[in-house]
Amino acid sequence: MKVLLISNDAGGFAEHVELTEGMTVQQLFEKQIGPLKAGNYLIRVNRQPAAADQLLCDGDRISFTPLKIEGAN
Amino acid sequence: MAKLLFLRDIGPTEVGGFGISNADDLLLVEDVQLVQQVCSAVSVEFDDDSVADYFDEQVDCGRLPEQFARIWIHTHPGKSPSPSGTDEETFDRCFGGSDWCVMYILAQGGNSYARARFNVGPSFDRRLRCRTQLDCEFPSSDQEAWFLEYCENVSIHDPFLSQNPPVTQSIDVDWWRPSTVTFERWTDEHSEVG
Repeated sequence: MKVLLISNDAGGFAEHVELTEGMTVQQLFEKQIGPLKAGNYLIRVNRQPAAADQLLCDGDRISFTPLKIEGAN
Repeated sequence: MAKLLFLRDIGPTEVGGFGISNADDLLLVEDVQLVQQVCSAVSVEFDDDSVADYFDEQVDCGRLPEQFARIWIHTHPGKSPSPSGTDEETFDRCFGGSDWCVMYILAQGGNSYARARFNVGPSFDRRLRCRTQLDCEFPSSDQEAWFLEYCENVSIHDPFLSQNPPVTQSIDVDWWRPSTVTFERWTDEHSEVG
């Protein structure tokens, strides 16, 4: 199956990637970003917050975007 | 640059956004796009959902992350554009995973700070010298649209208004009329650009 993956990390990209059937959000995140930093990202599937064990489907749009972008002086 | 100066001066707080780059020259910033944010005189915090929406919208527009998600821009109401510890922490945490990124800070006094970080290979940081490029076409000023964008995205948090709980106020679009004084000051400051 093919999904659109938008990520600001792992180099940063927005492209269609081929995944195996039955892959979960957590598995995709760990494959693309790594297992340790999930708390630093807002993970959405089809523009909705996603659970780690959510199964991905063909045509899904998944985004990993940074949390808590903040500045101060 | 005119839009960023306008956004810096329209309110009393910090304000931030993402630079949108020319597809063929990624360090040429052609627009500054705000996301929803809560700002005070000393801080700016982007709304996480709005950042995700911004990414979706930009991808739908056909842009790549390198064009819309690499250049983090914000203002400092004070004189100093030097990044704070919070700025550095955000730059590391939120942009450290991309292949390159830029932090740009524009202070009220006109001083600016720009630093690029390249995260691939022998990663390194480099200060950038900024200039306004005038030898290419660019859209005309649209202060009304910029102001509406500001009102739609910026909420001001003033911790001095109330001790408990914190008060967050939204901008009332109707109150704003660009005063002659403000407009003249703005025009004078940027007359060299035209």
